Order: sequence, then structure tokens, then C-alpha cells
Amino acid sequence: MDFLFNDYNARIIINIGIYIIMALGLNLITGVTGQLSLGHAAFMSIGAYTSSLLSMKLGLPFGVALLGGSLTAAFFGVLLGFPTLRLTGDYLAMATLGFAEIVRVILTNLEVTGGALGLSPIPYKTTMPLVLISVILIVFAMARIERSRFGRALLAIREDEIAAETMGINTFRYKIVAFALGSFCAGLGGSLYAHFITYINPVDFGFNKSIEILNMVVLGGMGSIPGTILGSVVLTIAPEFLRFVEQYRMLFYGALLVIMMIFRPNGLLGGVNFTDLVLKTFGLKKKKKVNGSSEKEGVK
Amino acid sequence: MFFEQLLNGITVGSTYALIALGYTMVYGIITLINFAHGEIFMVGAFVGLALTRFLNVNVFLAILGAMATCMLLGIVVERIAYRPLRRSSRLSALISAIGVSIFISTLVQLIRGPQTTNYPASVINNTVYTIGSIHISKLQLIMILVSAGLMIALQLIVKYTKMGKAMRATSQDYDAASLMGININQVISFTFALGSALAAAGGVLVGIYFNAVGPFMGTSAGLKAFAAAVLGGIGSIPGAMLGGLFLGVAEITAIALGKSSYTDAIAFGILFLVLLIKPTGILGRPLQKKV
Amino acid sequence: MKKSLALILTLSLLTLVAAGCGSGSGSDDVIKIGFLGALTGEVASYGIYTLKGMELAVEEINEAGGVLGKELVIVEADNRGDKGEIANVTQKFITKDKVSAIIGDPTTGGTIVAAQIAQPNKTVLLSAGAVGAGVVEIGDYIYRNTLLDSVAAPAVVKYVKENLGWNKVCIVTSKNNDYSVGQTEVFKKALAENGVEVLSEEFIQDKDTNFSGQVTNIKAKNPDGIVFTGYYTEGGLFMAEVHKQGLDLDMVGGDGLLSNVLIELGGQGVEGSMVFAGFSPEQPDENTAQFIEKYKAKHNGEEPDMFVAQGYDAVKILAAAMEKAGSSDPTVFKDALAQTKDFPGVSGTTTFMENREPVKSPISLLHVKDGKFSLLAKIPVEMD
Repeated sequence: MDFLFNDYNARIIINIGIYIIMALGLNLITGVTGQLSLGHAAFMSIGAYTSSLLSMKLGLPFGVALLGGSLTAAFFGVLLGFPTLRLTGDYLAMATLGFAEIVRVILTNLEVTGGALGLSPIPYKTTMPLVLISVILIVFAMARIERSRFGRALLAIREDEIAAETMGINTFRYKIVAFALGSFCAGLGGSLYAHFITYINPVDFGFNKSIEILNMVVLGGMGSIPGTILGSVVLTIAPEFLRFVEQYRMLFYGALLVIMMIFRPNGLLGGVNFTDLVLKTFGLKKKKKVNGSSEKEGVK
Repeated sequence: MFFEQLLNGITVGSTYALIALGYTMVYGIITLINFAHGEIFMVGAFVGLALTRFLNVNVFLAILGAMATCMLLGIVVERIAYRPLRRSSRLSALISAIGVSIFISTLVQLIRGPQTTNYPASVINNTVYTIGSIHISKLQLIMILVSAGLMIALQLIVKYTKMGKAMRATSQDYDAASLMGININQVISFTFALGSALAAAGGVLVGIYFNAVGPFMGTSAGLKAFAAAVLGGIGSIPGAMLGGLFLGVAEITAIALGKSSYTDAIAFGILFLVLLIKPTGILGRPLQKKV
Repeated sequence: MKKSLALILTLSLLTLVAAGCGSGSGSDDVIKIGFLGALTGEVASYGIYTLKGMELAVEEINEAGGVLGKELVIVEADNRGDKGEIANVTQKFITKDKVSAIIGDPTTGGTIVAAQIAQPNKTVLLSAGAVGAGVVEIGDYIYRNTLLDSVAAPAVVKYVKENLGWNKVCIVTSKNNDYSVGQTEVFKKALAENGVEVLSEEFIQDKDTNFSGQVTNIKAKNPDGIVFTGYYTEGGLFMAEVHKQGLDLDMVGGDGLLSNVLIELGGQGVEGSMVFAGFSPEQPDENTAQFIEKYKAKHNGEEPDMFVAQGYDAVKILAAAMEKAGSSDPTVFKDALAQTKDFPGVSGTTTFMENREPVKSPISLLHVKDGKFSLLAKIPVEMD
């Protein structure tokens, strides 16, 4: 069993956990509510920097730093949400991208964040049990949200915002809350990341990081919790798994994204209702046609 | 001093505009943010470099060669990575575009090495003209003229050719256009070819002007050009030109004011503000919400 | 639905296989050294050349019978310059490949991340590129073989003031480059100590290609010279712009500028510009000449750069320490490594001080002359 439970695998599992948390946050914003965000890494960086400063400069306990980082990220989520969530579609995407670039430039220029030199050494505090517990809590919370009145309202916004508004849903408020929750997750992930890697600088939180997280959500299946989890697992492991192709690794990674999208355009688990799937597998539920709006296999 | 900086801004801005046009045309027709567009720009710069270095051609031939190659590349990328996804969610196409972008930049790096290289110094004898107190180099002049020429040519194509009409029709109403007998696949291929050709021209010009060509030059240039396209109003061709020039001048202003470490923030900050005031960009059509 | 389930199962199986396969055989007849660096991505040039230097050193050592009678083997893995991957790769080297030592990362940030893992796992980490602060402080398994800015900058500033009469300068810093920001701090201190006035500070960013604004600003200040702390790509382009705007200024900077790319990109603009380095390809001693010869023969006449030389030396320093200690066990040979004194490398003579920081002497001050780097002065370092 030693080859399974060694420090290397533990490190990868922690990585996966951190990405699952962040990707689930983005899934709530983009997958469930349908608001394309290209700036998730900004919230990750806000969480990472805040929590690091709290534990390095103020010497606060890790738990407090973690919460502080996540809440600050959520606060900025609301702050960004207020002016921008009136924008629709790709204009929102562009605004979030712009916000992320601005955050990165500010982090590079601020004195307190160490500029390009970044922050180090951040105390090493992120452990496997902590990450696993956080993942379980977030997954549980997300599953609850999905099945709540709030979650259904978010889905309604994604499907048709005007219709949702007509039905009496305060779309603006709901979007803000979704944005805040999603940013909270990004902040939590960022805080865990900072206390895991022990060194952060602004380069780590660029456009590519946002895209990396978005890939996980879309590849797994937009709006699907198990899909997002699967996407995070696959894309975190892919670079490690592809090591055998050596310098052609990123070539394969790029091709993999294209191929997976062509063959599963709605994501690996797009349109799969996980609860139904589990129940059915164990013969607890009769077969019923899944009425996912996105299951479009075979339709050209 | 002021005019020199302004001129620098316009020179840079006109290349942003060239790249931004590709984003905006593709977006106008299939609402895809083509994140691989920056990579096409980069490939264009490399093709131009190869032509000048190995075949000793002049700037204009290098630009034409790069444009032709990238036209093909643009069409091939669309065929392979976007066409199968045309009926799927827009985000799948977006991820596919990101995959293409990673693929192309890695491929170029494997072939060419990760280093930044330069155009042979002989490509352009950089005479500096002086008009009053303003200095303008021959290269700057060429850049501005070539960019302007290409943009005028694009306007003519879009306004007066049959294909251009088909493009405009498709961009206005995709389904109706196809019902009217327009060959959508052809129009889309044509759009990609046009956009890629402009980006390639931009790549050669930028490569010569800044004397730097590297496998990762596409990412940041692409991002800024995309910002320029949105700034002007995505989907609008004059908007992309305006957005590019505006961004170029704004950046140079930032540098001139001694705030150069904030250049990126200023570019995106302006974008942010414009979107808040006019959510569809400077020249964008107001969005119609369909019920 | 079955399909999806099958997919999940397959993927989880793949995960297990990925995790399981390729684990180190732990064989005793070779000594493994991990190469930590980027082979793809934006910082790939540092990694690729470090690895090339290491390969040459390993070849030489193995031809001569290896280390302690065992063959030396490089384990390589690309980290793309991504901190998460740097951490993963470091852990992989330690857990799965069971390396005796790790050479890398060429960047300071990457080295800090890797060191936080190497230290508690008692694996020697020798960086052949990290020059920033906060590296060797991490612990007694962490070393670096680079010319530190804090050693070189004061000597160089003194030189340009006394020999070239620089009394007022402009400093150019790449704001998003940790190497540059760190070096600017060191230079500012040295300039102040030597009474050289800083007229203005200009900021650029890595990957910028347009420096017309900054150069126009410098033009207005009329300095004696430019202190440039960034890397060679931006350095070359910056000086090309200086030339384009008709300024006759030279710059001085650190070994981040030392690459032929600087000259390729800078053209006439970098003519006369100065770079300090622990490695000088020009006017080499016998040892270095041999190294350059061999490297060129192996790589179609390509000139070795600083990263090649430092990667090469890093392997040789490790091998010497292992031989001296009579063991490839990091807990044992790390003490021999700490005592490395006046090691005659191709990138200068290295001594590790009490605090494990390297002192490399003499410093070579190179300048660009007729489109080539040539030696301007060798400045000895007083050790205290």
C-alpha cells in the first residue's frame, strides 16, 4: 500500500481538493447561474494574500486566517458584483477578466504584498484532513443549495433571466449572493493553497489560473457537482499523468481539451443527474428519462 | 514630446486594432471568444521572420506570406476545433479555443525554442523623418499606413463584396441567413481567414517594430486586443479599430505619466469603466433582450 | 448512464495507475540527481539550459568512472514554472525517485517552494539560479551556486563610478519580475553608499515589448548611464529603443542580462553595455575553455550561457561533496557540501560561507563589444 499512500500522492490529493473547492465556487457562478466569469483567480489571490497576511503579519491562528481570507474574497465578490452583474453575457466575462488583471497589477505594486517578490514563508498549515473536511463541507453545502428554493431560482436565471424576473425572482440579488458564495469558495481555496505552497506571488494568479479553473467546470459538466469534481480531478492529474510524454506534455494537454470538448461537448458528466444515477445503479429507482436540458448526444 | 508619445500610442494601437478585428468579426458571427487568435498572431510573426531570414524577402512580401499562411491556419483551426461544436454550448467552444491556444504555443516552442528572437536588422532601414519637432521613423509610418490600408480594405470587403454582405447578414441573424441560402460554413471559413490574415499582418509588424518574436507573445497581445474589441463594442468593426487605438494611446499615456507598472491595470480599468457606463462598449449595438 | 459510470471508473483506475507506475526502483548502483526546472512555458529557457549543463557534467563524470564507483543519473521533470507543479515534482523526486540531491529551480520563487519540501525531507537542494533573498535561510539542506547581487552590485557600482565617471543614473526595474525588484533594492543601496545620484526610476514589465514611453522619460533626465535590473529579453529591447531614440547611453545590469539574445535583440543599442556575472565566456581559463569547447561540440557550436555553466558546476560541486564524504546519503554529504571552499568551477570559484550563502570570486564585468560579450574587468571579492 505504500505506493498508494505516500507523500507525493498526498500532495496531489490535497491539490485536487483545493481545486475542487474553487471549481465548485465557479460552478455556482458559471455553471448554475450561467454568469460567465473569467476572473476566478482574482478571488483566489485575494483569499491567498489576505489569509497569508493575517497569519504572517498578525500571527492569527490558521482557522481565523482561513475564514478571513474567504470572507474578504466574498466581500470583493459582492463589491464587483454590484456594478457588473447588470452586464450580460460576454461583457460580464470581460469585466471579470479586467477585474482580475487589475487585482494582479495592484498586488504587484503594493508594498504590503511584497510586490513581485511575493509573500514567504507562509506557515505550512494545510493538511490532508483539513482539505478533505473542507471539500466535504463545500460539496454538502453546494448540494443543499442546488436543491433549495435559492438554487432553483439560480437555475431559472441561467435558463431565462427575463422569465425568471417575471416569475418574481429578484435576479440581481440572487446573482450577487451566488457571486459572493462562489468567491468565498475561491478565497477558501486560495487560503488553503497559500498555506500549502508557502510562497505566493502575483504571477500565480493570472488569466491562465482563471482559465484552468473554468476548464474544470466546463470539462466536468456545467452545473453538475459531480461533474465539477470529476473535472477537477482529471485536470489536476492530467499534467502529472502526462509526464511520460515529457516535453510534449502540454501539446497533449491542449489536444486533450479540444478532443474532450468535441466528444463530450457538455462535459464529461453534463446532463447526468448524480443522485438518480446512484439510485439507479443500486436498483433503488425505476428508470426514468432524465430531462436534462443539456443532454444533447446524437443531436447534430 | 507629447506628439512623439501620441505617435507611439497610435503605432501600438493600430496593431492592437488589427488583432482586435479578428476577435470582433468571429464574435459577430458565431459569438465565440476565439482565445486562439493571439496564437495566430504569434504564428504570423514567426512566418514573417522565417521568410525574411531564410528567403531575404522585404517587409511587404513577409507580411503577405504570413497573411496567406495564417489564413490557412485559421481555416484549419476552425474546421477541426470549432465546427464540430457549433451547435453545442458556447463555453465548450471557448474551452476548445483554449486547448488550441495551448497546443499552438507549445508546438511553436518545441520547434523554435522558448527564446525571444528578432528580425534581421536589414529588414528595414530605419530612417527617422523630422517634421517640425516631431520625429517619426519610417517603420512607424509603414505600420500606421499598412494597418490603415488593411482596415480600409476590410471595410470595402465587408461593405461591397457578396461575401461581405453574407457576413453581415449572418452576423445579424444566423438562422435567417442560412434560410436565405447563404452557405454559412463558407462565410465562417471566410471570416476566420480574414481575421487571421489581419492578425498575421499585425504579428509581422509588431515583430519588426519591437524586434521581438517569441512563442508566448500571443497571450498578452491577444488579451489586450480582446479588451480593445470589447471596449469598442464587440461585433463592431469600426469599434475594434477605435478600441485598439484608444487602448494604445491610453497605455502610452500611462507610461508617459510614469505609471508604467500600472499599464495593464489602466487598460483594463478603462475597459471596466466604459462597460459600466455603456455596457455594450463604445460603438456596440444595444443588446435586445428577446423574450 | 452506464457509459458515464464506466467513464468514472476508468478515470479513477487511470488515477491509480498514474499514481502507482513509475515509482522508483530504488536501485543502489546509481546515484540519482533530480533536475527541477521548466522545460516548457515562459521560463523554459532557464530550465532547458541548466539541464543541458547538467547533462554535460554527468557525461564527463560517468566517463571518468562515476561518483563513488556508481553511475550518476539525472531524473528530469518539467514544471512549467508553476508553483503547484514545482512542489509536486520536488515531492515526486523525494518520494518516488528517491534522489540524493535536487538541482534547481533556476528561479528564486521556485527554489523557495521546493526548499520548503526538501528541507523537512532531508534532501539536498542546490539551486543553480536563485539569487533573491530568503533561500538558504530555509535550512541546512538548502544551497545555491549563484553570484549573489548583494556581492556583485556594490563592486560594480564602485567600478562604474571610479572608472567611467557615472555620477547620475536612471534605474529601470521590471515590476513583475522578482529577480529585478530584488536586484533594484541591492543596487539602490550600493548607489547611495557610493554617492551616485538616482535621477529617476522607470518601471517596465516582463513580456513588455514597447518601451518608448520609458525611454522618452529617460531622455529628458539626461543621465550618465542606466542601471537595468531585468532580464535579457527586455534589456535588449529596451536598449534597442534607447538607440532608436538617438540616445548614446550604456546600461549596467546583472547576470540576468547575460545571453546572446541580449545582443541579438539590442543590436547597436547594447554596444558598450555592461553585465556582471560569475561566468565569462570570453578570455576563459583553461578549465572553462575546455568546458566551452566540449559544449559547443555537443550542441552544434552553440555557445553556453550562464545557466549552462551554473548547471554544470552544480553537478560537479555535488559530486565533489559526495566523493569527499564517501557517501551519497544527503544527511552525510551535506556536511561536506557545506565545507566547499574555492571550488574551481567554470562559472567562477565558489566558497560556501558559514550561513551557506555562496561567494563567487572574482566577479567578471563583461561588456558588449563589436556584437560580442568580452571581458571588461575582473573584480575580486573581499571575503569577510
